[in-house]
Amino acid sequence: MKSLFLVVTLALVIMSALLHWTAPDRASPVPVLYWVTQDDEVKRETIELFKQWLHDHGHPPVDVRLDNSNSDQTKKITQGLAGVGADLFDVYPFQKDLFSSSGMFLDVTDVAKERGFSPEASYPALKQEILFEGRQYGFPRNTGGAVFWLNTETFARYGIPEPSFRWTWDEFEKLGTAFVTAANPPGTRNRSYFVQSVPLIMLRRSLGLSIFNETMTKATLDDPRNAELMRRYLRWVNELHLMPTVAEQTAMAASSSRPGDGFFYLFATGRYAMLNLPRWALIRLRPLGKLSMRIVEPFHGGFPNMDFSCGLISVYAASKHPEAATRFLEFLASERFNLLVARSGDSLPPIPKYVQSEAFLRPPDHPEEWAIQEAFSKMGPELGIGYSRSPFVALGTVFRVESKISQAVVAGRLSPEEAGRQEEEELNAEIALTIRVDEKMRQRHEALTKIQVQIDQRRALGQKVPLAWITNPFYRVYYQAQGWLEEAPAS
Amino acid sequence: MKKSRSKGLLVGLMFILPNVLGFGAFILVPLLMSFGMAFTDWDFLRHNMFRDEPLNFVGFENFVRLFTHPQFWHYLGNTFFLMLGLPFAIAGSLGAALLLTRAGQAKHQIKPVMILATLIMIGSGLGLLQGGMAENGVWFFFGLLTAITLVAGVLTGGSVYRTLFYLPNFTAGVATFVLWKKLYHPDTGPINQGVAPLLDGLAAWINQMPGAFGYGLPLVAGIVMVLVVGWQLRRLRRAWDLSEAGLVALVAGTVAIVVPVGLMLGWFGLSASAAVAGSTAGLVGFVGLTARRLRPWGIPKPADKGLGTEVALAMLLIPGLLILAGAMVVGPSLPAAAMAGLSAPDWLGDYHWAKPALMMMMLWAAIGSNNMILYLAGLSSISPELYEAADMDGATPRQRFWHITWPQLAPVTFFISIMSVIHGLQGGFEMARTMTLGGPAGATTTLSYFIYIEGFETGRIGYASAVAWVLFALVFVLSIFNFRYGNRHVQD
Repeated sequence: MKSLFLVVTLALVIMSALLHWTAPDRASPVPVLYWVTQDDEVKRETIELFKQWLHDHGHPPVDVRLDNSNSDQTKKITQGLAGVGADLFDVYPFQKDLFSSSGMFLDVTDVAKERGFSPEASYPALKQEILFEGRQYGFPRNTGGAVFWLNTETFARYGIPEPSFRWTWDEFEKLGTAFVTAANPPGTRNRSYFVQSVPLIMLRRSLGLSIFNETMTKATLDDPRNAELMRRYLRWVNELHLMPTVAEQTAMAASSSRPGDGFFYLFATGRYAMLNLPRWALIRLRPLGKLSMRIVEPFHGGFPNMDFSCGLISVYAASKHPEAATRFLEFLASERFNLLVARSGDSLPPIPKYVQSEAFLRPPDHPEEWAIQEAFSKMGPELGIGYSRSPFVALGTVFRVESKISQAVVAGRLSPEEAGRQEEEELNAEIALTIRVDEKMRQRHEALTKIQVQIDQRRALGQKVPLAWITNPFYRVYYQAQGWLEEAPAS
Repeated sequence: MKKSRSKGLLVGLMFILPNVLGFGAFILVPLLMSFGMAFTDWDFLRHNMFRDEPLNFVGFENFVRLFTHPQFWHYLGNTFFLMLGLPFAIAGSLGAALLLTRAGQAKHQIKPVMILATLIMIGSGLGLLQGGMAENGVWFFFGLLTAITLVAGVLTGGSVYRTLFYLPNFTAGVATFVLWKKLYHPDTGPINQGVAPLLDGLAAWINQMPGAFGYGLPLVAGIVMVLVVGWQLRRLRRAWDLSEAGLVALVAGTVAIVVPVGLMLGWFGLSASAAVAGSTAGLVGFVGLTARRLRPWGIPKPADKGLGTEVALAMLLIPGLLILAGAMVVGPSLPAAAMAGLSAPDWLGDYHWAKPALMMMMLWAAIGSNNMILYLAGLSSISPELYEAADMDGATPRQRFWHITWPQLAPVTFFISIMSVIHGLQGGFEMARTMTLGGPAGATTTLSYFIYIEGFETGRIGYASAVAWVLFALVFVLSIFNFRYGNRHVQD
């Protein structure tokens, strides 16, 4: 027995040593960067282009390996804070503030200014999407917002007129009702829908209302405009069946190998007349054949707008190769990478000038997309507004509460009026908790609340407000559009 | 000799050392740390290797906040609701084990089973050939599958049945959840495809019925409800008179009928306060009237005597009575609904169906779980002499079960119920995360999911630890309850 024990111990030691010595890092003669992201063709091409770019610019060679098994938020944060994170992280909009505030990302503010990948290199509307507390912790790998994709053949099949480029929610309701009536035989369960989902945040903004107030110190959803929005949403889902319920959506997602694949197939086959997605939808739509498509702006309730955000890549603060990893961010601002984004059908390239490039506007293999690309080149930069990110509540929590409340309205658990009240209560409770446990946040909240009082007083008197007082990106744009600002914004 | 013993001890320790080290590093230390964290404001966004803000001791603040957090009570309610399926799951496991035992023993019954299976197989095969898999095809498919299983089971002496029943237990959880998500798909899921023709048929049948039909279902449900309530009240009185139930047990047994009746009054439009007042009056009235009846021998018994039995029975009675109450409420609107066409449920998307849908899946998984294996082992260890003696005394199968099988299996049932309660309280996370993301509207968010949200979405690890320890306290209290009241037969 003792011998057996010794043999097993020895075998384990030898195998551990073998594993250690054959680890990929040791097998590579150059530094290896691990990038937590999805494993796909575009990512692999990105790596090849990065290597060429390093070579052409005389930088030391680096190997980059994809890690698509740790892309879940839980794994990112757990590994990152335990000191064993990857060198490069894909960061989604709802993760940016959470991860950046933890300190797990390298502050690249100064080096970005030096090497030309500061927020100024990208779209003005994205500045707050890239920065956290005025510091830079990453650079966009793609940007953009959701538009409405039309399958024009589907509209023609049922004799439904296509919406105009800029349209209202009344037109959406009218056309949608006509479509589902024509596409679904009477007396049967709805199988064809007008669109897969509508973005409530954007619609709320189109009514001149944001989740948070101007200084983002308080949620402001107990408002008749929000109640009207929820009433409409309820009607669209439950009464008119213009879109599937959340469960039907998730059930469809379960029927496909990749998340959301079901939507694209149903869109191509005419069961969805429209899709509400960013430009990256092209990556999934192209393999389905040459579809006859158009894009139109998101419909609105008075103030046209579009969510505009970006997926960042950030460098891990405890990376073994911070210099090489920072070079990767620099590469994201290069022509090679931006042209790759343009031709691959991903969202908008991070550097605005490439949206006007031939590769973006007229992809040679896809002449049927030229009109679409032309529309994209204007729509995002003109209409796009970043998310209202309150420093006192995580954006992921805002999304979760928003989703839960809208589901409760659809399920009949909350009336449209109660929905706004409850959402406001829940978000304000989160804010209250944050400032109770964090002294710095409490002081900041107090200072901003004083400014908010001044804003409210001025608005009550019909007076203009200094732009510098407003931190909510939506109200910065909205106040300017309404002529409520003392001075015009710099950019 | 002494040297050899200490050497042996050393070797033994070396053998268990890896396990002890693993237990210490991955269970004991995190456990103790989480206990400490529950009393701090640990937020991983502020307290981690990259930020050195001091950790503050906040006393019981996390717990106070938890108990004043409305979402906590909602999610606790969800957790308990999902646990209502446990008695059915345990009963299902026992039923499966009994059937499997019989399947292995009843060799003389092979012929009729084979004939029946062959008939089903031929019928289903012909049905499938004629209509394909569309609409009713699902039923033919299941018929064919059942027949094949029957034949295979009979031919292998039950081994196939055992393997099939145990299948859910060694299938990976997430894979199972994805499968069930597809089964529950409102449009293309086989469940709704199977149910839809039945509902169409039912709607057509209801439409042919006279207008008064709508009151038939509530009438039948009402009569059954009155009978069940009457049976329970009579049983309680009898138990009280025979000193088999103390005052606490009497109250628990009465609550089991008062809760569904109170809810039903609420559904019928009675205001919540009136429903609560009415139910409480009923509860107090019955308990009072019963309690003042003198026991024949006038000796007061422990107040909690028989509590375990009453609680177990309540977990079966409450869902049953709620279903009957639901039938009473829905019945009158049935003809109108049938006119518009009865549609199959949106299982995971409807707030009211999401929890039952998950419970059904859990039931499927639980019937063929380790519980069934434990019952099979328990059944095989019952002495055949006991059954032979019962046969000689002319005992009926029902008597054999209640007076031999059930008491003999008591230790197994006790163990299973403890483990089921622990798993029930701790479970629900993977299932909800995969199938519903805790929705719709938080309907399937359990306490374990709540811990995940607080821990990894907001970063409040201290608070999440407090939730985890409250969950532990619940498990502990329920286990103590189980030990105290659930092991009567074990002690016997």
